[in-house]
Amino acid sequence: MTAPVSAAPPVLEAEALTKHYPVSGGFLKPPRTVRALEAASFSLAAGRTLAVVGESGCGKSTLARQVTMLETPTAGRLRLAGHDVAGADAAARKALRRTVQMVFQNPFASLNPRKKIGQALEEPLAINTALGAAERAERSRAMLARVGLRPEHHARYPHMFSGGQRQRVAIARALMLEPRIVVADEPVSALDVSIQAQVLNLLMDLQAETGVAYVFISHNLAVVELIADEVIVMYLGRVMERAPKAALFAAPRHPYSRALLASTPRIGAARGEAALARAARTALAGELPSPLAPPSGCVFRTRCPHAIAACAEVVPPLLPVGAGHEAACIRLDAI
Amino acid sequence: MALLEVERLTVEFPTAASTLVAVDDVSFSVDAGEVVGIVGESGSGKSVTALATLGLVDEPGRVRAERLAFAGRDLPSLPPRERRALLGGDIAMIFQDPMTSLNPSFSVAFQLMEAIGLHEGGSRKVRRARALELLKAVEIPDPEHRLDAFPHQLSGGMSQRVMLAMAIACNPRLLIADEPTTALDVTIQAQMLALLLKLQRERGMALVLITHDLGVVAEVAERVIVMYAGQVVEEAAVPRIFEAPSHPYTEALLAALPERNVGRRRLQSLGGVVPGAFDRPGGCLLSPRCPYVQERCRAERPALFELAASRARCFFPLPSHAEVGRPP
Repeated sequence: MTAPVSAAPPVLEAEALTKHYPVSGGFLKPPRTVRALEAASFSLAAGRTLAVVGESGCGKSTLARQVTMLETPTAGRLRLAGHDVAGADAAARKALRRTVQMVFQNPFASLNPRKKIGQALEEPLAINTALGAAERAERSRAMLARVGLRPEHHARYPHMFSGGQRQRVAIARALMLEPRIVVADEPVSALDVSIQAQVLNLLMDLQAETGVAYVFISHNLAVVELIADEVIVMYLGRVMERAPKAALFAAPRHPYSRALLASTPRIGAARGEAALARAARTALAGELPSPLAPPSGCVFRTRCPHAIAACAEVVPPLLPVGAGHEAACIRLDAI
Repeated sequence: MALLEVERLTVEFPTAASTLVAVDDVSFSVDAGEVVGIVGESGSGKSVTALATLGLVDEPGRVRAERLAFAGRDLPSLPPRERRALLGGDIAMIFQDPMTSLNPSFSVAFQLMEAIGLHEGGSRKVRRARALELLKAVEIPDPEHRLDAFPHQLSGGMSQRVMLAMAIACNPRLLIADEPTTALDVTIQAQMLALLLKLQRERGMALVLITHDLGVVAEVAERVIVMYAGQVVEEAAVPRIFEAPSHPYTEALLAALPERNVGRRRLQSLGGVVPGAFDRPGGCLLSPRCPYVQERCRAERPALFELAASRARCFFPLPSHAEVGRPP
């Protein structure tokens, strides 16, 4: 878990990845732009986990849609397994798509209710490989066993499974093509805590066995602290802080990272009156600004307890603050 | 005397094949001004317990209880008119999803004034002033402006504040909050919990907080009730329940939390799943998943035993595993 990031060549590299969506401004009004993702740079090596944390509207899911090639970024470069995605022709893109797969949040919505589990698992093979039916069935049975399900589940429908079992099926489906990267968008948020533990264990075991790299999108910092190697903290489409996990949880530098950590309820933290006092001290005022009209300069300044006039002037660049650790704040020295 | 008394509450829903026992022999009480947390996983019966207590379980659900009382008044035998006055008056409830709890067709002012009108009456002008006062009490920014907003113009956190304003409109003595922060972002959740606790202190309300989040309960509640498969399995004060749980299920819930496993490569987790309608085991409901299971657990169903500092539905409670409740 403490291996240096540079040990293996990255399977995923993003440079200044940007996505803007045009939205209708209304009848006879010019369209406006949502800056869902602004200049995000990161890389990920095989067998490692990059966690992306932030609240609704921070651009986590937009990032997932760029990395999985479901959308074309507005600007920036994306390299998967060493190949530039933008420069690839149709055949190469199809091959690249196999290297990155996705697991979604809601296992009740991500499986086709009219397809048996076996069919759902074999579909990626039927589309992407020349394997025969017998071979496909054999591989899907083997995958069921690997994710802790039984062979007879092959012929069952999704409604016959619990939420935790369905998420196991979704993970199995993502792994059928032996991808190098799996993007998991809030994979355990819909699960109860005991089931969540089982699914997290499964994800960690599969990573140890196959060397797959995870982009793990989550709002749950406790889960991130367990599973991640590196963490990106996002707010309103921008990266606020990027850090090795241990550094982020021991000494977060950006005011937003600090607020996120302080807002997470924990057992053994202050209670009652003390919790009230702590909340008054650390709680962020106000709500997320509209992504259609983000604040000038630093997007976090409207809620930041340390904001000064200069924060409205410049967009703070990501500045190095330690080994593999950077934060986007112009007041790092003062706070 | 306790403010809310629930004794041996059972709620069943008949299905085509058999009967689903959603709440099974649940007893608890809430004192005036107290904060009680009810925790459990999905399907553990926490929400149905609250709904049944307020008489909100509809046909074909069957509710039985030896006693359901609020401030000494027996709830099931109350005439419908008086019960309606009690609900939304002395007892208020807020729900998980604020977006669907508000009527999208009416403004915030209309919905608040309607609630005030039903319980207190008063002229339009008085009610509007009260509505504004309530929005200020729940710390909505720019309250004058928000009065005439419609629900779709509000964020999730803002909608939940409006729901809370409506709930406290008649100065309830008991507020039941069912997963009030589950749909909210973590920084908004922190604001909401601080506000709930502040209002509870200022007004001396009793607060029953139903949640699946043990962290939330640990920070807010004074006493915790843990539910599993429709039963209360443990009840104890905070922080004792987190430091020295008596029931194996409570211990397993805590052990499965990622924050208790930092630095480990695997999370501890109970095998198996919560029993459903058709596979309720005989004996203790946790017996098929319990790491400490013994012969007696499979044969007999344990009662909720009084222990030194807690109540637990276990024959061999932690940490000593000394047997309790052996018939003489």
